[in-house]
Amino acid sequence: MYDLIGVLLLNGLAWGLIIALIALGLSIIFGLLDFINIAHGDLFMIGAVLAWTTVDVTGNFWIAFVLVPLIGFAAGCLIERGVMRPVENSPALSIVASFGLSLILQEGVRATFGTTPKRLMDPLGVTVELFGFQYEAYRLLAALIAALAIAGFFLFLRRTKLGTWMRAVRQDREMAIAMGVPADRIFMFTFGIGAAMAMLGGVVAAPITSVEFRLGLDVLPLCFIAVIIGGLGNLPGTAAAAVLLAVMEGLVSAFAEPTTARIVSLVVMSVVLLVRPNGLFAPARR
Amino acid sequence: MSSDVLSPGRLAIFAAVLLLVAAVPWWLPALVEDYWVDIAAEILIWSLFAASVNLLYGYAGLLSFGQALYFGVGAYGVAFGLQHFGLGFWGSMGLGVTAATAMAAVAGIFAVRLTWHYFSIITIVFGLILYLLTVGAKDLTGGDDGLSLSLPPFFSLGGVELDLFDQATQYLFVLFFVGLCYGAMWVVLRSPFGYGLKAVRENAPRAGLIGLDAFWLRYAAFVMAGFLAGMGGALFALFSRYASAQYMYWTVSGEGVIWTIVGGAGTLFGPLIGTAALIVLREEISSIWEHYLMVLGVIVILMVTFAPRGFAGLIEDAVRRLKPTPSAPPRSE
Repeated sequence: MYDLIGVLLLNGLAWGLIIALIALGLSIIFGLLDFINIAHGDLFMIGAVLAWTTVDVTGNFWIAFVLVPLIGFAAGCLIERGVMRPVENSPALSIVASFGLSLILQEGVRATFGTTPKRLMDPLGVTVELFGFQYEAYRLLAALIAALAIAGFFLFLRRTKLGTWMRAVRQDREMAIAMGVPADRIFMFTFGIGAAMAMLGGVVAAPITSVEFRLGLDVLPLCFIAVIIGGLGNLPGTAAAAVLLAVMEGLVSAFAEPTTARIVSLVVMSVVLLVRPNGLFAPARR
Repeated sequence: MSSDVLSPGRLAIFAAVLLLVAAVPWWLPALVEDYWVDIAAEILIWSLFAASVNLLYGYAGLLSFGQALYFGVGAYGVAFGLQHFGLGFWGSMGLGVTAATAMAAVAGIFAVRLTWHYFSIITIVFGLILYLLTVGAKDLTGGDDGLSLSLPPFFSLGGVELDLFDQATQYLFVLFFVGLCYGAMWVVLRSPFGYGLKAVRENAPRAGLIGLDAFWLRYAAFVMAGFLAGMGGALFALFSRYASAQYMYWTVSGEGVIWTIVGGAGTLFGPLIGTAALIVLREEISSIWEHYLMVLGVIVILMVTFAPRGFAGLIEDAVRRLKPTPSAPPRSE
């Protein structure tokens, strides 16, 4: 039993880090543009589909780690310019526009990729012995890659000019513009980064899940939960919440149905929303 | 506007439209295939669902992505009443509508404490919790496969029996209840309550200063929206003889939001126009191309970009251009 719990904990950790990566993308888009991107889960799904396609075409999985985030960045910039820019000033309209985008992405994948879930071969094909269990080495690598990407993202925000600009626009748009920050381009750039993170998450997750057009539907609520429990705009909090949640869901699913585990997280989230709307880790204000 | 609402000219137009809508089972089959009468009934039903989104978003400024929950509860209320409790036709319908309204009365206590994005998110979350519970209780609810219902006649007196298996009867039955709901909305939105709701939508702190209680206004709107969605769900279960968890998923709520925004939020008949346009489009396109949802996505993005006030806004602009009224108040923007 204890070794099973160990495996579930590790699974939860790997998933949690992947979710954290995606949720951080959702959170920076929310923080800057002030709207909920419903298509974010579908960007993750597209990442997984593109990873599968990369293996299908080139036979090499690792290329996807470079290629797919780049495609994601370009797609994100295009989406911001083409779809979001005209409705940016109305949060409600932009949520609806992103819902429209989500329909296009899902149905587009259904039309081209098909409806049957597809599985990717374990790209490492190695297992390591942990807790007396044979554990897929790729899951450990997935956790490591996601953790590195998250660390890289935080370094980028703190240590580069672009990252500083992003934080500046987020804190006070008017003031940032007055100081000469090109806010317009920062919006596009942020959407690009957010989309790239979601798609990278898709690549990392592709070998440990089944790839299909509905993949994003399941992930989006989880990202919401992480963003809310971590606190809207609190990026480290979001990452921590994602990992905590996934580990908790992993543990609960050892004793109950996975559905029950999800209900538990949703209830936790409702309570946090109502009692501490600034997130679990925020200092109580006022 | 409010003074000439009941002018004889307007009343005549309204009566003519109502007559035309009520006569659908007789003139529509002359133009297209018979099943379009059923689609017309379906449009009426789903338009109540859109109306419930509209009541919250268009009039109270609260964007709900969770109305499918109350639609689903309304449908399952009917299904449980018929299959598990043996309540008969009217008892089951009453159970569906009451259960949905009661559910909204409980969820609303929590949900309307939040506004803005937080409200949208908590409505999704409540919807997901109930969806997962419903799917989990497969023995009782049938999960995603749903429950099929067998309907008793709804009226039986002295050998005369009326049931929903007759197409025209079913249409008129649906129209009767949908019409009642629209009538009730018309009255409520023109009452002090309706104006209070709009005041809170525009500026809650200021509305508070003139003595309006934002919480109670929003709460009442939330419960009414639950009632409308529940009525839609109950009618849908009776209409399709079927209730399923798949109608409770948040993407169904999302479709209601789309119908509302495309039709024109904040107008009484906008959601009906939006629902009608998009369901007709679905029927037409999905017969030639199975990926209708892609077309829907494109339409949604084009509408919010180029006609953010929806079809109702387009119609309003066209009317204004046709007959410029110098006394019309300046456009608020």
